[in-house]
Amino acid sequence: MLSPKTPETKPVKLSVRNLDFAYGEKKILDDLSMDIHAERVTAIIGPSGCGKSTFLKCFNRIHEVSTAVKVTGDMMIDGVDIYRGGIDEIDLRRRVGMVFQKPNPFPKSIYENVAFGPRLFGVNDRATLDHIVEDSLRKAAIWDETKDRLKESASGMSGGQQQRLCIARALSVNPEVLLMDEPCSALDPIATSKIEELILELKEMLTIVIVTHNMQQAARVSDYTALFWLGKLVEMDLTERIFTTPRERMTEDYITGRFG
Amino acid sequence: MPVLKTLHLSRTTKPVDRLMRGVLWAIALGFIVVLTVFVGAILKQGWPVLNLGFLSKMPETLDAGGGIKPQLFNSIYLVVLSLGLSLPVGLGAGIYLSEYAGKGRTLRFFRLCIETLAATPSIVLALFGMIVFVQTMGWSFSIRSGAVTLALLNIPVITRVTEISLLAVPRELKEASYGLGATKLQTILKVALPYAATGILTGLVLTAGRAFGESAILVFTAGTNTSAHFPDFRMTVPGETLSVHLWYVTSDGTLPDAREIAAGTAAVMILVLLLLNLAVRFLDRAIRRRTR
Amino acid sequence: MNDLPDSTLSPPSPLAVLAQRDEPAAPVAAGSQEARPALNFRQSRLSRLADRWSHLIFLGCSLLVVLLIGGILFFLASRGLAAFVPMAGNVGRTLRLGEVFLSSDWAPSSDKFGILPFLAGSLSVTGLALLLAAPTGILTGVFIAKLAPHWMRNLMRQVMDLLVGIPSVVYGIFGLTVILPIVSRSWLKDAPASGFAVSALILSVMIVPTIVSLSTDAFESLPPSLDEGAQALGSSRWQAIWHVLIPAAKPRLITATVLGLGRAIGEAMAVQMVIGNNPQWIALLRESTGSTSFLHTLFTPAATLTTELVQELPNTASGSTWNNVLFAMGLLLYLITMALILATRKLGQGREA
Repeated sequence: MLSPKTPETKPVKLSVRNLDFAYGEKKILDDLSMDIHAERVTAIIGPSGCGKSTFLKCFNRIHEVSTAVKVTGDMMIDGVDIYRGGIDEIDLRRRVGMVFQKPNPFPKSIYENVAFGPRLFGVNDRATLDHIVEDSLRKAAIWDETKDRLKESASGMSGGQQQRLCIARALSVNPEVLLMDEPCSALDPIATSKIEELILELKEMLTIVIVTHNMQQAARVSDYTALFWLGKLVEMDLTERIFTTPRERMTEDYITGRFG
Repeated sequence: MPVLKTLHLSRTTKPVDRLMRGVLWAIALGFIVVLTVFVGAILKQGWPVLNLGFLSKMPETLDAGGGIKPQLFNSIYLVVLSLGLSLPVGLGAGIYLSEYAGKGRTLRFFRLCIETLAATPSIVLALFGMIVFVQTMGWSFSIRSGAVTLALLNIPVITRVTEISLLAVPRELKEASYGLGATKLQTILKVALPYAATGILTGLVLTAGRAFGESAILVFTAGTNTSAHFPDFRMTVPGETLSVHLWYVTSDGTLPDAREIAAGTAAVMILVLLLLNLAVRFLDRAIRRRTR
Repeated sequence: MNDLPDSTLSPPSPLAVLAQRDEPAAPVAAGSQEARPALNFRQSRLSRLADRWSHLIFLGCSLLVVLLIGGILFFLASRGLAAFVPMAGNVGRTLRLGEVFLSSDWAPSSDKFGILPFLAGSLSVTGLALLLAAPTGILTGVFIAKLAPHWMRNLMRQVMDLLVGIPSVVYGIFGLTVILPIVSRSWLKDAPASGFAVSALILSVMIVPTIVSLSTDAFESLPPSLDEGAQALGSSRWQAIWHVLIPAAKPRLITATVLGLGRAIGEAMAVQMVIGNNPQWIALLRESTGSTSFLHTLFTPAATLTTELVQELPNTASGSTWNNVLFAMGLLLYLITMALILATRKLGQGREA
């Protein structure tokens, strides 16, 4: 984990400048700016309803599937504007994967869940798919538990296993970024700790942005932490600094439990 | 909130309550009795006539002893053909309404049209089919005229059932698909439709049942004659079905054993109906098991 | 896993968690990293094209339905209106609107085309059927929704599903072979055994499932506070139903009835088999003035718009006045149906206000 003593060597993967976000008339995010570094874990914390999930979903433009949204400001991946840089949102979603709050595996077999992604892009060769499925399940630390029941339905798994399956599924298309929206909120403590371990392993390969309402979790897994309140960014810094010497009064109040 | 009339308890409240409860139960039981008597009478009347011979013989034009082989064939053939025509259109329209049409005036307009077509009396569809297919297109009383007109009857039901089944697909599943980089079409074909498949299948079985029992449309498009040749898969020959045969034999009445044939035909139709009903119940239970 | 939070009452502060965290990890050994498969994941051009065009295909299917509605109107009108407008292919004279829609004199062989008998017949049969089906249907609906035990609800649903699946010709044959003989053997021995009563009876059984299912939905969608509130005030079950629930569900119950009406007025085969098919029924009734009891009227062989179509269309020549008038009747049926659907829309909108 990054400490204040070691300098940041990783480049900026995602950057946000003066982002405003609105659903129809309602403004959700207000003038947000932040940098997210590659192969680091960035946690977004804050009280419920302050726009954390909404912000996360801006990175893969998944809002647009259900509603029309109004976005002003810049949001960039590798220096290219996500909204106006000519990026195809379908391509974007392949590069920026997502794990949701409640595990949502498809009502298909374990194998088919993970093979779903590659199949979308025309990979149909059995050998290649087998390789990708095994690789993804291994990366999600769930290969040993599933290798003998790949043909079984995913619905038979426990919550924690399902969530790791969803992570494997997200990994199957080789994303560069993984967005995690409160991935452990529906899971028991043991499953939660397994996934936190997984996050620490995965960050070697991808950039991870995780929304969590659990401060302890942010402290355990993230390199950077950003505190949101009512659609605004209160403070963002190295996790160590945020939790030991926060700059803002509000941050200190939140961390010590005085509000939120 | 409706204005509550003064609900005062009087001496008659309890007895009235008991009486009306009894009345409601009686009405419900009455329907059960009606259904049982109905099905029972039809089966009882037709049972003596039902034998392998009846089902496998060709009909007679003047004498007694005719069978219903070609009519049975035509009934099934027309159901299959009309479903084959209406399924793509119904699926397409259902997909459009649930996935593309939004929530505003467009959706309401299309829904209105579907409801109107659904409520159109079958005799009106029969007239339409007669003008357009039998006469204007010169297809005359034939299997193809019947199949296409029958498809018009099926389309609204299939559309509605597709739309409802697709709307029941959990949003999270579609989100997961989009999150991986799928296009809208891929999400519909690979996630939404497979999930909705059982529900749509149930609707198809219901539609098949309705098409099987339809008579008005077919009298005016497929005619009241059958091909002398069996089995005749050609689309251009007339195609009297079981339902039309039942009506024709009863109305025309020239056959000496018209009553028996009618009874037998009705019994066959009821048996097919019961079979389809069982299929629907089986499918319904499969759906409920999955969503648990 | 020694950085798990304590399972004591209050979660540890993030500070404490930070203190327990591992030292910054050493750079990962090169060999332990999985080489990423060098696969280029892109959507194929075919896939993108399909996505764009599929939208149009699905739209096309929906538009087909709209086209059909218009097409039915057009083709029916093209024949029906031919009775009133001189057109090529017409044999026979053109008629005035009045002599068709306002006259009850139907005698095609004498060039008389008043369709009032059929209109009146349709309305009478439908009205009678609704009189039977609407109250029983609505009461059954409330029974299923509010009163019946679980097993009874399932049973009733099965019963209604079966009733609605029975083909109309089978209803007709039942009426013909079971009900009519019973009627003619009973007190109306000398009355002609057919007519409105039996048709309406059969028709009511045919439309009851529609009314029942819509009524059940109507009652089930009422807020439970309504029912609970009434009972908390001490009303009996029936009082709650009669004074509170039924009035509250009224708009949707009316819609259910209207849709049942639509089904009834369009029903052809079952009615045609038992009604006796006598277009002169009004004239017949007028003649037998002295002994016309109400019961007698109920059993007079009669005719409706639909039965006349089934009965006579095959026998009329295309282009003849009779043929055109029949199509005008079909057009009338279609317009009535559309009007009923629009009426249910208006009712629905009124409720949402």
